[in-house]
Amino acid sequence: MTPVLEATGVNVSYRRPDGALAPAVIDACLSLAEGESLGLVGESGSGKSTLARALMGYCRPGGVITSGDIRIDGRDIRQMAAAEMKLLRGGKVAFVPQNPLSSLTPHLRVGSQVAEAVRIQRGCGKAEARETALSLFALTNLPDPKALYERFPHELSGGQRQRVVIAAALAGNPRLVILDEPTTALDKTTEIQVLELVRDLRKRLHTSLIYVSHDLNVVSEMCDRVLVMLRGTVVEQGATRAVYRTPEHDYTRRLIAAVPRIDREPTGVAPPSSAPPLLSVSGLGFRYAHRGGWFSRAPEAGRPALDALSFDIAPGETLGLVGESGSGKSTAAALVAGLLAPATGTIRFDGAGLPGLARERTQEQRRRIQIVFQDPLSSLNPRQRIAAILERPLALFQGVTGAQARQRSLALFEQLLLDPHLLDCYPRQLSGGQQQRVAIARAFAAKPDLVICDEVTSALDVSVQAQVLALLKELQQRSGTACLFISHDLGVIRQVAGRVVVLRDGTVREAGATGAVFARPADDYTRKLIDAASRGYGNLPDPAPA
Amino acid sequence: MALRIDRFALKKPAAILGLTLVAIHLVLALFSPWIAPYDPTALVGGRAEAPGEFLLGTDVLGRDYLSRLLYGGRMALLVTFTGVVAAVSVGSLLGVAAAYYGGLLDDIVMRICDIKLALPGILFVSLFITGFGESLPVLITLIGLVYFPGVIRIVRAQAMTQVNLGYVKAAQLRGESAASIIAREILPNTMDVVYVEFAIRMSHAVLLLSTMSYLGLGLSPPTPDWGLMVSEGVGQISFAPWLVLFPAVFISTLVVGLNFGAEALANALGMDAARGYVGGV
Repeated sequence: MTPVLEATGVNVSYRRPDGALAPAVIDACLSLAEGESLGLVGESGSGKSTLARALMGYCRPGGVITSGDIRIDGRDIRQMAAAEMKLLRGGKVAFVPQNPLSSLTPHLRVGSQVAEAVRIQRGCGKAEARETALSLFALTNLPDPKALYERFPHELSGGQRQRVVIAAALAGNPRLVILDEPTTALDKTTEIQVLELVRDLRKRLHTSLIYVSHDLNVVSEMCDRVLVMLRGTVVEQGATRAVYRTPEHDYTRRLIAAVPRIDREPTGVAPPSSAPPLLSVSGLGFRYAHRGGWFSRAPEAGRPALDALSFDIAPGETLGLVGESGSGKSTAAALVAGLLAPATGTIRFDGAGLPGLARERTQEQRRRIQIVFQDPLSSLNPRQRIAAILERPLALFQGVTGAQARQRSLALFEQLLLDPHLLDCYPRQLSGGQQQRVAIARAFAAKPDLVICDEVTSALDVSVQAQVLALLKELQQRSGTACLFISHDLGVIRQVAGRVVVLRDGTVREAGATGAVFARPADDYTRKLIDAASRGYGNLPDPAPA
Repeated sequence: MALRIDRFALKKPAAILGLTLVAIHLVLALFSPWIAPYDPTALVGGRAEAPGEFLLGTDVLGRDYLSRLLYGGRMALLVTFTGVVAAVSVGSLLGVAAAYYGGLLDDIVMRICDIKLALPGILFVSLFITGFGESLPVLITLIGLVYFPGVIRIVRAQAMTQVNLGYVKAAQLRGESAASIIAREILPNTMDVVYVEFAIRMSHAVLLLSTMSYLGLGLSPPTPDWGLMVSEGVGQISFAPWLVLFPAVFISTLVVGLNFGAEALANALGMDAARGYVGGV
């Protein structure tokens, strides 16, 4: 039987502004049997998305498939005429992108968009297309297909939109579906639902699947085989379990070891302390007010973003704050940092009450609490050199300037394993991991007693995340700084936090020692989060201390 | 300051043409007292002489046309440059401040913009000139007033994308003053837009000034001015067409140069020049 997809010697390059070609995929070979699923994993820039697109003969603007033989059902797609190609994509080969909102037309009802795909691919009439679209909605477990048919994309939730896009992908009875990070933008619990759907559909329809993801757990759960990419080259491919358990390539080994896991005993986490708390938050509440226009009535009060949040942090301790998007965890960070003033409740710091907004706090109070943001690039002023970015807090909080400030910056750089010459670069010239280490250096330049880390690694690749976390932990231990660590990733929380608070919809669901909470969750929601996080662990090697 | 400039965008034919035209006009305007063969207001020849003895001929009163064109450019660039610099500086500061403070200040600033943008351009110009008279300072103020609301809108929009970014929050948490945050953090990150705004507004302003002079709302005779020269030459168009042609060529080469230059600058800075246009006269 011919494989559904067979590709040999695929090379893709991108044209740089000066006209030269930069290779993005080098000599990739793969084949896919009917009903099989293949995971493409690798870090950002490894070429996995470029390869996935090339497999349907497509490149992003500026890209060219320079050579290679790509056959779908035995037909060489690079020899196809444009019209045939057009029917192939969305027909035999369907594509599901990362962001469903960008692939749905905002001003058309979702039903008509799927029906149109059905009409083009199956060549049927309007009424029949409508019936097929409705049955596709039912197939993808969308609630009340008839009502949903008439909705606009913005009226759907993220998970529903992704289901609509999957329904549209099924319009042409595809032999192969390529999914490019389809759940990266979704919450963990929504992600699980979409993944279950994809797995169920694959079983029922015998479709082959290519699944592009940076998340090794998801690939482990979804795919029979896995292909690991590094800088455009396929470094390893094989059965998922074999590759995960006994990786041959050094890079694969490092990648798998870097996955933060909730079943792995952490090292270097400070034990619970009985010292009086450094930070004590009680009954913290906050509500975002919608400012009305000149002629509108008083603003409507929405659901509180945060309701009666209480926790303590001892000196030197790390407290994890975990929850999905909309749980209020970033609001909590903003309140403690002083970006927002709490509506209710009090924040006490080192035994004294702490004013709400940073500008009402004393310079000393501001020095003692520092924050590191999620997106490293936007937290560094693009028009300042790294040296200037670090010198400002040094001057303000430590009174250190000139050569002395440079010395201090260099010392911080050494602790964070950053190359000294980066001091004279601009933020954009640094990699994501380097940028985030600079942001950490800026926070520690003030010699704080408490550092708030708001999703500091969620924009980073797995292996970079592991390095940043290790450095952060070391720096924190050496300086005895306490940390409020906010994340949606339970594995990361497990590795850094001694105690954890689980938030949902602005309220605390559960709190306690991280190990105990994760081993024996008392709350249903916590249990759901833990189940979601530990999916795909079956293929991973046995846990060892990080 | 690290402007990220795409050098390839500056090497396109349109970009080279635009920048060259602007450069030529700048050199001619700056050095006109040395280049111009005669005093632009002195009667040196016969009435409306064709190009020949005088390189570009003479005007209806017998003044050297080339000298008048050169001095006219000097005057046009002086008025528009000063006016647009004022519009862009005031507009940028107000735009960034409105974006940063938000609330009442933002409302007031934006309503002022709305009022200005709602007034018909020529009506505003003629009322202003009628009220304050035709003098250099009045014209410069007028150019500034005509263009600053557009600048506010564009710069405010750009600044709004910055005020909620981490680096601005970090500065607030350090306890920096509002002035320091605006000057050190936000303003440098809106400069790309400000430069392109400046180039686009310059080309609009040159056209506006010429239009005003043509309508008799600009500089008054005997000051040499391109718009005024076109208007004076129109009566003679059937037997001395160069009287209209030469100033028109000077105006259009400068405007075309500025437009292409703005486009090239926008491309080089990685944005779309068309986006920068809001209203005008």
